[in-house]
Amino acid sequence: MSRQTARAGDPRKVNGELFTLTYGALVAQLLRDYEDDEEVNKQLEKMGYNIGVRLIEDFLARSNTSRCNDFRETSDIISRLGFKMYLGITPVISNWSPAGDEFSLLIENNPLSDFVELPEGHTALNYSNILCGVLKGALEMVQMDVDVWFVQDQLKGDNITEIRLKFIKRLDDAVPAGED
Amino acid sequence: MAVCVAVIAKENYPLFIKTIPTENELKFYYTVHTSLDVVEEKVSVVGKNNNELRELYLGLLYPTEDYKVYGYVTNTKVKFVIVVESSNTSLRDNEIRSMFRKLHNSYVDMLCNPFYTPGEPITSKTFENMVLSMM
Repeated sequence: MSRQTARAGDPRKVNGELFTLTYGALVAQLLRDYEDDEEVNKQLEKMGYNIGVRLIEDFLARSNTSRCNDFRETSDIISRLGFKMYLGITPVISNWSPAGDEFSLLIENNPLSDFVELPEGHTALNYSNILCGVLKGALEMVQMDVDVWFVQDQLKGDNITEIRLKFIKRLDDAVPAGED
Repeated sequence: MAVCVAVIAKENYPLFIKTIPTENELKFYYTVHTSLDVVEEKVSVVGKNNNELRELYLGLLYPTEDYKVYGYVTNTKVKFVIVVESSNTSLRDNEIRSMFRKLHNSYVDMLCNPFYTPGEPITSKTFENMVLSMM
């Protein structure tokens, strides 16, 4: 019993490092298997997409949020609730496009890339590309088609990690064939 | 300030050696190599008395007329060796200990990099910068 209470205070910290190391091992193995940065980026995005379509259910169940009225609300929920719930960070929202359909998430200390240094010759690799996939998959499940990509990456020498999201269109559920 | 810093793998081959470039570097390589014998000796002595935990910091390995050599072994048998000038008497024991602690912490951080395989020569810029700050 006493051991459980000792862990209850700090279980997240231990899991955080394990998570970082696990993700690191995953990316390193992908790099060894595919040997091509672009291919690895694509695979990471695919994996992220699969995570995203499932994660959104968990997120909606836990956060109890209602449907967002516009893209700005969406961005606020993603940053304040989504990232906080799963990664423990709150990215800053900035660089809104004039039409209001594009924005950037600025991440200062990405837990996925703690301790990571990109090896020589792999400058095309977007190490945290899984995040792009997760965002795309999750938003697709709430009927938003978005494009997500990396603009800046601290691992490549920039000051901050910047992910850009662009709203493409609303996805309407197609009427099933056979129904009027 | 250290004159030479070396990291040696558990199989006793060097992972990383950095010296002040003005000196004869080969001499330091040789010093580090011979210090490995002293390290082995210190490590094996405690082995007989396995109830006591061996301390990681080994202390002064041996003094030569120009230099003092300090050693530190991790529990995975990775060795750190620091060579300082004998004339630099202002360096006290706990300063050396803190240098080794910094080295150990940097080494562990570098090991967490998924792109670094343990046993590879060390090429991390962060680690190198930390070592340069000690020299």
